[in-house]
Amino acid sequence: MKKLGNLLSLLLLAVMIFTNISAIESKVSMELWNRYTVDLNGTDITKSYFSLERGYLGIEPTFSDKMKGRFTLDFFSTDKFEEGVGIKLKYAYMDFAMPVSDMSLQAGLIKTYFGTIYDWTYATIQKSFDDKEKIVSSADYGVSVNGLIPAGFGEYAFSLYNGEGYSKAGGDIDANPAFAFNLRVIPLTGITLGGSVLYEDHSLLVDADSTVSDTVRMVYTGVGRVAFGPIDIIAQYAAKDMDGSLGAGFMVMPVIKINKLVSALDMELVGRYDSYDKNTDADETNDSYGRIVAGFNWNLFKNPDDGKPMVFVQTNWERTMYEDTTKDATDNVAIQLRYLFSGKM
Amino acid sequence: MKKILSMLLSLTLLAGFIFAGDITMSGSTTVFPIAQLAAERYMDKHPDVNISVRGGGSGVGISDIILGRVNIGNASRQIKNKETKQAKENGINVVETVVANDGIAIVVNPSNGINKLTLEQVKKIFAGEVSNWKQLGGASMPIVVISRDVSSGTFEVFKELVLKGGKVREDALLLASNNAVASNVAETPGAIGYVGFGFLSDKVKALEIEGVVPNEKTVNDGTYKISRKLYMYTNGAPKGEIKAFIDYILSSEGQEIVKETGYIPLK
Repeated sequence: MKKLGNLLSLLLLAVMIFTNISAIESKVSMELWNRYTVDLNGTDITKSYFSLERGYLGIEPTFSDKMKGRFTLDFFSTDKFEEGVGIKLKYAYMDFAMPVSDMSLQAGLIKTYFGTIYDWTYATIQKSFDDKEKIVSSADYGVSVNGLIPAGFGEYAFSLYNGEGYSKAGGDIDANPAFAFNLRVIPLTGITLGGSVLYEDHSLLVDADSTVSDTVRMVYTGVGRVAFGPIDIIAQYAAKDMDGSLGAGFMVMPVIKINKLVSALDMELVGRYDSYDKNTDADETNDSYGRIVAGFNWNLFKNPDDGKPMVFVQTNWERTMYEDTTKDATDNVAIQLRYLFSGKM
Repeated sequence: MKKILSMLLSLTLLAGFIFAGDITMSGSTTVFPIAQLAAERYMDKHPDVNISVRGGGSGVGISDIILGRVNIGNASRQIKNKETKQAKENGINVVETVVANDGIAIVVNPSNGINKLTLEQVKKIFAGEVSNWKQLGGASMPIVVISRDVSSGTFEVFKELVLKGGKVREDALLLASNNAVASNVAETPGAIGYVGFGFLSDKVKALEIEGVVPNEKTVNDGTYKISRKLYMYTNGAPKGEIKAFIDYILSSEGQEIVKETGYIPLK
């Protein structure tokens, strides 16, 4: 509890400092996810509980048109600590505009620009496919050059990361950096195609005789999206080659935006199918599984300025089916209230 | 599956039937007077058509068209690359129509003795580097800076053409519409603000900038530097009633409305 108190004091101090620096304009935001979850095995309820799954507190200072920052903490329910709450540092970076139009350099604890993980809007309560299957971590320490292709034809990012993800630090970080490239193109209105690759190789920086980690990791993904009228479909294939062992799978997620059919009903119907095999080279491991998600999102309040949802309810049913015939399919039903608010200092 | 598809098709047709003859618009408060008056005149001629016009700022108009919330998004600035990308991703093919030209006038209270400024002086005033009219040869009176909020296209253009990317001073009064800026300047002796030409009246004084009087002639000949175009954005090339309405604004009758509301007709 003392640690938590210290962290909160530091946070308060940071907010006070930002408030008192007159040259800086800062946006402060909070996003909370209150969830009720029921886990089932067959018809047996194995767990049912209320929780705060996310509590993002963000400060985004703007120093000038060409320099801004982002600092985000995540508060969440957990039984790992006696206080029942955990805190994660999610983002902490500066963003510098480059001399080239629509290009910037980010440095610090930044998003992992890969697949669907960096712009996943959680149309399902479930994480993005690459996040759920631990293909990559959603954020990592590093630098990234991001840009937009002219005339709205897409975006790109060249990045260099620790490679271990935002939850690892100090002794958990090896000597190898991870190189990543992400590209999204929109050749036709409503059709988005993209791909990303992240590569980490011990031999690039460390002596062959070194005793430090010799992991060679290559992860890659292809993403497609079709948006037409009320229909929006995202598909993704992703693979993770870790020291010669290949895990691979895909996701398809159709969303029907009901509000585009009946404007008074601000809802989305969501479906999703995931399939992942942790080791495609070994059939006998029986470690592949499939996941079906069905649900709806109901917007209760949208920001009148930009139309983005500010208060909404999500309901998902999720079934996971295992290749291993000794394991029963498991079900999960979750209802989540998400709400966010922000202000300027 | 067939049933689901039939249901979706029916809902689509039903939605199309329910909203036939209705045009919804939102966005720029600069374009608002043109859109509003044109809508009134158009509805007089076409009683079966219902047009609703909402303000909010250019950012709102463009966001609404990207999200498919309105038929026409009004803006006093051009759509950004990032917004075009978002629109394309969402299956929205944003098409731009220029409906008028406009200048942004730098306005002060009529009681202020200052009649002209340079662009550099205006920049310094808004940045807070000059804080009293006395520093510019006027009466000893603190300068009250009135600006627009970040959703404003007028602010974006002002920032690009006058502030050159610089910041507005911290204690500036940020207002949500051209009308609010004009009213506040009219009521505050030391105030300075900026508005579209459509909001000029004898209650505020428009300053000469770099020795050039802000008017239709100086905008058209390019000598008045703080000028821009006014836009209406649609999803795809305008069709049906939306096309008929935009064609009306572009017609000689519609361009008379542009003039009547204080803006500059297209040549």
